[in-house]
Amino acid sequence: MIERLGLSPATAPLEHQAALWVVLGLPLLLGALGAVVRPARTWPVVVAGMLPLLALGWLFAEVAGGAGRSAVTEFGPLTLHWRINGLTLLLLLLSGVIALASAIYAPAYLREDVEASSRGQAWFWPLLGLLSSSLMLIWLAADLLLLYIGLELMGLTAVGLMLLPGKAEALVAGLRYLLLALVGSLAFLLGVALLLGAWGRLDLAGLAEAAEPGAPLWVAVALLSGGLLLKAAAFPLHAWLAPVHASAWIPVSALHAGLVIKASFFIALQLWLLLVPAAALAAWAMGGLAGAAVIWGGVMAWRSVKLKEMVAWSTVSQLGYLLLAFPLLVGTGSAVADLAWQGTWLQLAAHGLAKAAMFLAAGNLILATGESRVEGLAGASRRFPISLLSFGMAAISLVGLPPSMGFTAKWLLLHAALAGGHWPWVAVLAVGTLLSAAYVFRIFRYCFIEDAPEYEFRRVPLGMDAIALLLALAALLLGLAAAWPVTLLRGAGGEP
Amino acid sequence: MPPLEETLLAAALLLLAALSLFDRHLVRACSWFVTFALVVALAWARLGLVWLALLELVLGALLTGAFLFHALGMTPLVRRPRGFFARWHDPLPLTWRLALARLLPALVVLAMLGVALAALGEGVGSLRPAGFVLLGLGLWAFALHRHLLRRLLAFNVIGTGIFLLLMSLAEPAALPAAHGLVITGLVVALLGTALGALLVRRLEALEARHGARARTHGHPA
Amino acid sequence: MSQGWLPVFTLATSLLVAPLILLLPERAGRARAVVNLAAAVLKLLLVALLVLGFYQGRDYTFGFTVVEGVSFLLQVDALGLMFAGLSSLLWLATTVYAIGYLEDSPNRKRFFGFFSLCVASTVGIALAGNLFTFLLFYELLTLSTYPLVVHRGHDKALAAGKVYLRYTLTGGLVLLLGVVALHALVGDVAFGQRERLADLGPEAHPMLSVLFLVLLLGLGVKAALVPLHGWLPRAMVAPAPVSALLHAVAVVKAGAFGIVRLVYDVYGISLVHELGLLTLLSVVATVTILYGSVKALSQQELKPRLAYSTVSQVSYIVLGISLFGPFGTIAGLVHLMHQGLMKVTLFYCAGNYAEELGIHRIEDLDGAGRRMPLTSMAFTVGALGMIGLPPIAGFITKWYLGMGAVQAGMPWVIGVIATSSLLNAAYFLPILHRLWFRQGRGRWPEERRLGRYETSAWLLLPTAATALFSILVGLLAGVPFSPLDLATFMATKEYLP
Repeated sequence: MIERLGLSPATAPLEHQAALWVVLGLPLLLGALGAVVRPARTWPVVVAGMLPLLALGWLFAEVAGGAGRSAVTEFGPLTLHWRINGLTLLLLLLSGVIALASAIYAPAYLREDVEASSRGQAWFWPLLGLLSSSLMLIWLAADLLLLYIGLELMGLTAVGLMLLPGKAEALVAGLRYLLLALVGSLAFLLGVALLLGAWGRLDLAGLAEAAEPGAPLWVAVALLSGGLLLKAAAFPLHAWLAPVHASAWIPVSALHAGLVIKASFFIALQLWLLLVPAAALAAWAMGGLAGAAVIWGGVMAWRSVKLKEMVAWSTVSQLGYLLLAFPLLVGTGSAVADLAWQGTWLQLAAHGLAKAAMFLAAGNLILATGESRVEGLAGASRRFPISLLSFGMAAISLVGLPPSMGFTAKWLLLHAALAGGHWPWVAVLAVGTLLSAAYVFRIFRYCFIEDAPEYEFRRVPLGMDAIALLLALAALLLGLAAAWPVTLLRGAGGEP
Repeated sequence: MPPLEETLLAAALLLLAALSLFDRHLVRACSWFVTFALVVALAWARLGLVWLALLELVLGALLTGAFLFHALGMTPLVRRPRGFFARWHDPLPLTWRLALARLLPALVVLAMLGVALAALGEGVGSLRPAGFVLLGLGLWAFALHRHLLRRLLAFNVIGTGIFLLLMSLAEPAALPAAHGLVITGLVVALLGTALGALLVRRLEALEARHGARARTHGHPA
Repeated sequence: MSQGWLPVFTLATSLLVAPLILLLPERAGRARAVVNLAAAVLKLLLVALLVLGFYQGRDYTFGFTVVEGVSFLLQVDALGLMFAGLSSLLWLATTVYAIGYLEDSPNRKRFFGFFSLCVASTVGIALAGNLFTFLLFYELLTLSTYPLVVHRGHDKALAAGKVYLRYTLTGGLVLLLGVVALHALVGDVAFGQRERLADLGPEAHPMLSVLFLVLLLGLGVKAALVPLHGWLPRAMVAPAPVSALLHAVAVVKAGAFGIVRLVYDVYGISLVHELGLLTLLSVVATVTILYGSVKALSQQELKPRLAYSTVSQVSYIVLGISLFGPFGTIAGLVHLMHQGLMKVTLFYCAGNYAEELGIHRIEDLDGAGRRMPLTSMAFTVGALGMIGLPPIAGFITKWYLGMGAVQAGMPWVIGVIATSSLLNAAYFLPILHRLWFRQGRGRWPEERRLGRYETSAWLLLPTAATALFSILVGLLAGVPFSPLDLATFMATKEYLP
């Protein structure tokens, strides 16, 4: 697993560390620029937003073909560790794309949404830049100090972004989110403290080598996972998620559900794989949580009254699929783990793209109808075909129907579960598919109603529809092109 | 640090923490907290961690204190707390449900931590027990209070407890890393408190406006 | 390699037409009709090209790796060609029909867009070269037919859509489980590599039997095998062209076609025989045939009666498969084609009656033969074919089924065929009697004069054409390239040792 995570001691050092700094710093810079300029049009954002992707291209070129790279920064007496491998590149690219999509969506959205306060708008761009930077930091970090910094930065920025609407509901939900995020970070810090106390080091590769089973390790991992799962809205620590999304701005929701939650999951899975790679029993308990998350999230999404609520609950459910990575990767044979490894990251990418697309499409529908309830969508198929099409394509990926990326990911996870004879996880995947189909098609059922009263509606700018459509298309069609991300995952140091 | 002085400092810390967490008068509790932070800074200074002491002084005592009082609606000129948060009934009555849902997890965390600390071997001095007890006090207060300010206080106390534990656990070789963690933690605690305080003010403003509107609707002028 | 693109082009004609149609504005009815018809004709030509190339022994394989061990594969074989030919032929006919049927109704853009997607998935199913690709298009078919089923948008349609999804998505999931499990067992198996499963040896037989049942369960939903048929009669609320498509070509046939693939191309008939699963198939088929016919008797409306008749008729295919031997195989394969032609004719007629005269119930059909002679003649051809009267297509099937039963040593099947034919007669002959020999009441439920002839030419032309085809494939069954010829070729050259 160390090799898969790009942490093997034999990794060659990165030649130009500047690439790293550019990738980390550029979003921050652009965010600051955005605060000054406050772009009201889309095209400057498109142009500026391409820059981080170009920087990413540089990093790709640096790593190209090799077996991953590592980097070390001396900071006074402090040593910080970085790593770049196929998985990191994939996640960097994913966050770059989703952040770009949110950024492009934002100017038009802020213009259209009459309730968006101008004070909040000023904060939006720097916070967005900070959030992207902290995400990049988390993907690249290879020691617990950097991970802690990234996690906290991300958590606080996410809370800040959620509070921007400034309405009472947003504030109350944000308050709850803030407290839980703080509790999560305390647990994380305590876990890190124990690890530091027991083995005197924070770099992941060194810890993976040094850590020995025993009470300190177990307690530390329990605390770390508890804190992270709270931030990841994993069942049963998910209750804060739906209210927070219900009142947040659409591009913020897209970013949050698509990436922020995944970052906590990523850290948790990474720590398990490094510190307790054979803890099959505990991983099975996580699998139980995964099953509960899939079912409970699905049922709640099915029953939700508001469109955004449904999308948010579906995040809880989909996160259950990701949590299945614990029982499938921890303490299993290499054949199973290999499949599950690919399936998990594909699922993460698929859900990121699809959920972002779905939030954007849902935002378009809500803006157009002026109605946040699901019933308000009656007859939408005739009036907003493009928004609905984007929503539908994203939904296909969520349900895991072909040819979407969600389908390929589910295929791999199913294959892993069947190959290992893990029948409960097969059942979880199957039930999850049916539940997600139920909640998604409930929306469509309303959309196809023909004798609906003619609500007043307004036209959404074409750009907003286009960006949702593009993301949804990516989620839908990349399933057949999954060979490329999988090669990336397996190459660049991903080979076991 | 001589043992007697260290014990005294630890005792003072615990006393101040308990006062700031459980004083029924909110303004007094916030004042106790500022004093607590000052003593923590003193403790860091006595341990030879000057930078940490300085940071604790600025971030932990001055800025956090300022934000706490800002949340209460107090400025150097306005001495009386305003807003509905100042009149919130707390702590919650201890019921079985509350005990199961809130206290039990806190106790489980404490027990686990105790086991882990025991396995890590005896530390020197009273830093570690003090940190542990601070953690316990903070968790207890966090579980029992719903008032946001109280919770922020509890959060800060827990944080301080963890910092103490962290510094006591770190071997000399690991000290730079521990410093990094504590500094990050201090900044996070400050930012969290600031965000919470601003939120409280904002909510109060909304509430006041809402209330005013409700009043004018209720009684047409 | 260049030839590998031909199946892709064939697929693309309808796959790419779908977004094009969705982009055209709702008003542009004429442009839409042109695009639709052009694509349908083009596809028919491409399929014809494929048939020609196939007979010359060319290899059309297109594939790429999706993830390691899973590949997307299109390949051309006789069975696939037959199904592709059927669907592209009926697509052309149904497009013409639908243009006439939906004139001036709302949401035509959406209808034709998803209609094209639906046909694309059918052709994809036909050309799929392995189970993964098959599954891909099989699920796409579910998704693209849902908007067609709920097209009318009233409560009944939406409720039917819900039931439809419940059945098909669950079926799709079961199929997915089976396919993944098969992958876990033997890896990626292209259709036709029968020895891969047979080589596993007897110790794998219990697992293989279980997997066969799982896969059959998944496919049986779409093939409307009893007791998985519940969605089909309810889906009748859809517009007539959709019903025609659902019942004659796309959905039901996709299920039946999948079962054929499963038995002949994945497992191989010998292995299935060895596993002792053919008996099970024949029992399921028998139950479905008899149940469908009995239920059809009790229906008072035309479309539900036809729907239950479909339930019954599609299982002739399964029955044919289950008869081990060349004749049974031929019967099953040829019925895939025959049933499609005859059933689509019947549904067109039902649509014509409903559109022109507002007739939905069978009792209102009295004297309709005089008012709409061409439609009624087409209906008569279809109905008599279903009963199995020579020289119409249905007769060939039943004849071969009977011979297959004797060959397989299962003479009781002849009894089943005879009973079913009697039942067919019992529910079709009264309709014919009403059409031709009863006096009309003078008033129709809701008469509209749609065209110069008995009804609009758009509706009449496809009806007459498919009726004609139903007679021709029966009359000219011995000619090369006829469905029977193809089926015989497959049965003797490919599928039987």
